[in-house]
Amino acid sequence: MAEQVISPDLKFVEDVIASGGGDLKKCYQCATCTVVCNVTPDNKPFPRKEMIYAQWGMKDKLISNPDIWLCHQCSDCTAYCPRGAKPGEVLGAVRKLAIQHYSPTPLSKMVGDPKYLLILFAIPVLLFLSYIVPKGYLDVSAIPRGEDGGIVYSKFMPVFPQIDVTFGAAAFFAAVCFVLGIKRYWTDMSSGVGAQGNIADSIKTTISEILAHKRFEKCNVTKDRKIAHLLVFYAFVGLAITTTWAIVYLYGFHYDSPYPLYDPLKLLGNASALALLYGITLVTGNRLKNAEKAGKGSYFDWLFITVIYAIVVTGILSELLRLANIATLAYPTYFAHLVFVFFLFAYAPFSKMAHMVYRATAMVFARHTNRES
Amino acid sequence: MEKKYGVYICKGCGIGEGINVEKLANNVKGMVCKTHDILCSPEGINLIKEDMKNEGVNAITIAACSPRVKTEEFDFPGALIERVNLREFVVWSHEPNNEETQSLAEDYLLMGIEKIKKGDLPEPNILQDLSSTILVIGGGVSGMNAAIEAANAGYKVVLVEKEAQLGGFANRLYKKIPTGEYFNKPLIVDTDIDKLIKEVESHPDIKVYKSSKIEKTEGQPGLYDVTVSTNGGSETIKIGAIVLATGWKPYDATKLDYLGYGKSQNVVTNIEFEEIAKKGNGKILRPSDGKEAKKVAFIQCAGQRDSNHLPYCSSMCCATSLKQARYVRQNNKDAVAMVLYKDIRTPGRLELYYKEAQNDPGVMLTKAEVKGVSDAGNGNLFVEAENTLLGEKIKLEADMVVLATGMIPTTREPQEYLDGLALAGTKGDEAKAKYIEETPKPEFILNLSYRQGPEIPSLEGAYGFADSNFICFPYETRRTGIYAAGGVRRPMDMSEAQDDAAGAAFKAIQCIDHVSRGVAVHPRAWDITFPDPLLIRCTSCKRCTEECPFGAIDEDEKGTPFYKINRCRRCGTCMGACPERIVSFKDYSVDIIGSMIKTIESPDEETIRIIALVCENDAYPALDTAALQRKKIDSSVRFIPLRCLGGMNLVWIADALSRGLDGVLLLGCKFGENYQCHFVKGSELANYRFGKVGETLNKLQLEAERVQLMQVAIAEYDKLPDMINEYVERVKEIGPNPFKGF
Repeated sequence: MAEQVISPDLKFVEDVIASGGGDLKKCYQCATCTVVCNVTPDNKPFPRKEMIYAQWGMKDKLISNPDIWLCHQCSDCTAYCPRGAKPGEVLGAVRKLAIQHYSPTPLSKMVGDPKYLLILFAIPVLLFLSYIVPKGYLDVSAIPRGEDGGIVYSKFMPVFPQIDVTFGAAAFFAAVCFVLGIKRYWTDMSSGVGAQGNIADSIKTTISEILAHKRFEKCNVTKDRKIAHLLVFYAFVGLAITTTWAIVYLYGFHYDSPYPLYDPLKLLGNASALALLYGITLVTGNRLKNAEKAGKGSYFDWLFITVIYAIVVTGILSELLRLANIATLAYPTYFAHLVFVFFLFAYAPFSKMAHMVYRATAMVFARHTNRES
Repeated sequence: MEKKYGVYICKGCGIGEGINVEKLANNVKGMVCKTHDILCSPEGINLIKEDMKNEGVNAITIAACSPRVKTEEFDFPGALIERVNLREFVVWSHEPNNEETQSLAEDYLLMGIEKIKKGDLPEPNILQDLSSTILVIGGGVSGMNAAIEAANAGYKVVLVEKEAQLGGFANRLYKKIPTGEYFNKPLIVDTDIDKLIKEVESHPDIKVYKSSKIEKTEGQPGLYDVTVSTNGGSETIKIGAIVLATGWKPYDATKLDYLGYGKSQNVVTNIEFEEIAKKGNGKILRPSDGKEAKKVAFIQCAGQRDSNHLPYCSSMCCATSLKQARYVRQNNKDAVAMVLYKDIRTPGRLELYYKEAQNDPGVMLTKAEVKGVSDAGNGNLFVEAENTLLGEKIKLEADMVVLATGMIPTTREPQEYLDGLALAGTKGDEAKAKYIEETPKPEFILNLSYRQGPEIPSLEGAYGFADSNFICFPYETRRTGIYAAGGVRRPMDMSEAQDDAAGAAFKAIQCIDHVSRGVAVHPRAWDITFPDPLLIRCTSCKRCTEECPFGAIDEDEKGTPFYKINRCRRCGTCMGACPERIVSFKDYSVDIIGSMIKTIESPDEETIRIIALVCENDAYPALDTAALQRKKIDSSVRFIPLRCLGGMNLVWIADALSRGLDGVLLLGCKFGENYQCHFVKGSELANYRFGKVGETLNKLQLEAERVQLMQVAIAEYDKLPDMINEYVERVKEIGPNPFKGF
């Protein structure tokens, strides 16, 4: 190996510590973490080396490294660390900094820092208010009702242009950020590493692995996470199908919402929502249950969990309140639901949501370069 | 002393089941002889006490367990006591209820009774005009603490420091590592050395000599005459015991040019770094340009744990560098301290210090083999290292490099000089004269008037430290009455030195106390017997003076030996050395052991009988342990303990063989001065004498294999029975001694 010139970046060390890796400095490099890790490749295993890179502030070595994403934060390392250095949490913090690094907007800093939370919420709140205030919809009685006198949310917040243009733009923005980020990440990862085999094969294997959630099975301390994450994952898939289906109904068949509860779209949507609620509750429960062994988690993690919670709760409530025809609660709840959904999508490239993209990319890269077979 | 004998045989712990105790008791004629089921019980003890009171019994033979156990129970002040080891040496290591086992018990009892008949109650030898003043050499942290401990315990103390002020290395430090808890506490605190100096200088019982040296140390514990040269003059002081606390010197960093020392001003030693921090009052201004250092690399084990430099670990440098990393960080939140170590060694409590120090984000550590330090321009340096935790090879840039150099004891230079002188002496007078002329003489410390040399002797594996190798007695040196403390004894940090000082001071006090009562200082710290030669028969052959490991015997002008008895450790090496057999202790003499041997007789011409002379400190306890594990030993062997195999006199072998015994086995400890025996080299001396046993055997026309010397360490109890049994088999093959029955 060529001689590397080490230039410690103290700021990066402090960032890792501030981002949830508060126990980083306790590591004394015994490598127990690497020994107990079931997810790491055998060759140059993690997280021992990541711990010392982080201690020495070697940012470049860390964030452009696929290994930080191959880690699924089972927290076996954290549970067995004899010094309580919590390698799982440190890698979580490093991943947050990696997400921030590859997302090229000032929003990246803001999502990771509780200081900016209000501003981040203020953006969608003001945006959606700007649609309804001019129409006087702050007064609930002024909102037009459906033909049967029931609540119709599309009359409160029209699907087009308000909803679709706003979310379309948010999704486009997020997609662009993701594409740019992934491109930079891929370039950084590839420098000096030779790719092997067919990229399509690597992608195919990775997707099938993600769909089966095989990695999670290797965890010991947080074994229960597989079911929780699987539920959340497939709930999101279900909701994505529901949304697409709704678009087809709307623009293909000009069939407007609300749809009856027996409609297959509605059945799928409601089932996904319940799965998401159960899944995210399991996620939270597991985290609380394992906090002592696996660590408490960072602001970055909990913000993400809270937003998902908020989305699913406001979503289900919106539907129930609509059906119960309690207008004074239904509209504000729906409003909140829209704000949270916006938060999740528009900020996805900067929040923990980005993990799905970066991790998937890293897994493809690892396969493609024989880091993993 | 008018002796009234009493023999008491215990039946407990299996003795009653293994041998016929009544038959054994019936053999004892003409004296009180009683048996008891459990002799160490209050009833058993009372039985003996009653006889002492009513019958006037004052010479007591207790045939029970090993003399190494139940010492408190079988302690009868004013009476002569002999313990016969029936439990371990007979019933636990032999077939029960067998003719040979019974015979063994009978022989042991006979030997015990013979010993008590020959022995006498000792009176202590207390010398006159004893001093109880403690001399502390060295006024650093160890020396000052030793002085305070001794003075606070009520002893007068004389403290001699060669520098113009007290304090030693602590004077040069900016801050020190605190003691106690480290969590959420400051990691650097004031040394407070001034307070300690003031306490010493103002203590009414401590007299301080500064800018002073020891010119001469004569005499013995309790009666040292120490000449101190001070202020151009000299003064002779009466001293009882000595604490050697002369500390250490830093390793010569000019030998570390591969680490850039001497090539760049910005490569400094850990001691120099302290001085920089002290001078800048915490600011680290680098020597080359006075710029504040913000990137400091610490190279641990600089010339340590390295066969080319110091092979050992100085134990304090890891914590010291972590402390100095704090100096770098305390004024600059953007400064970094990079520590390159072989292993972080922060023993004991200091592990917590390491944990705490490491938590600083700007303190970066990695294991590394540092390959070199080179110029990076502008006074900066590149440190190149391999096998690091960061990758195979790394290079880092630093404003300054600190070398964690190690400790060299102040005793090392004189030792090396004297060892060189001794070596030159073996090559003849010319070589010796040449050596003296050509070799610069280092500063001596003690300047002892001692036939084995003026300083603490060197020991292999001690690397010049004033260590004794006595694992259980850390402060003892090879010179009775002189106790080492602090960095001169082994590498240590300031807080360890503080504890060490207390330990050495208490050993010095113990020494003063023992000589005031005529008790051996150590290791036989209960023994009031002493070697008492019958000088009218002395031929002035000087063997005793030469062989005594403690320089306790000197000759007067006529060549007649005389004892400096307070140096004596009562090993009896002089007794073994004397060809005239004139050295005796009240309960230990050539005659006593010889008479014990003479009680052994073979029951017939075919039965083998072997005597084993056994070192009391290693082989004897090993035999006890083997017995505890019920390992069987051939019942033809009778063990006789010796204080040290160095007390072995050849006449015993001649007597034993000429009286028809079939073999003599000698069990001593491992040879060499580096073995941890308190008596240093008795076993080796016995072997030297043993080399001449051939003549005796030749005269008797007996086979040389009948006599054998074996080296046994205390831990070898598992092998020992087999070693002995194999020897017995060899003797049996040779056949019975033809002198049997003569």
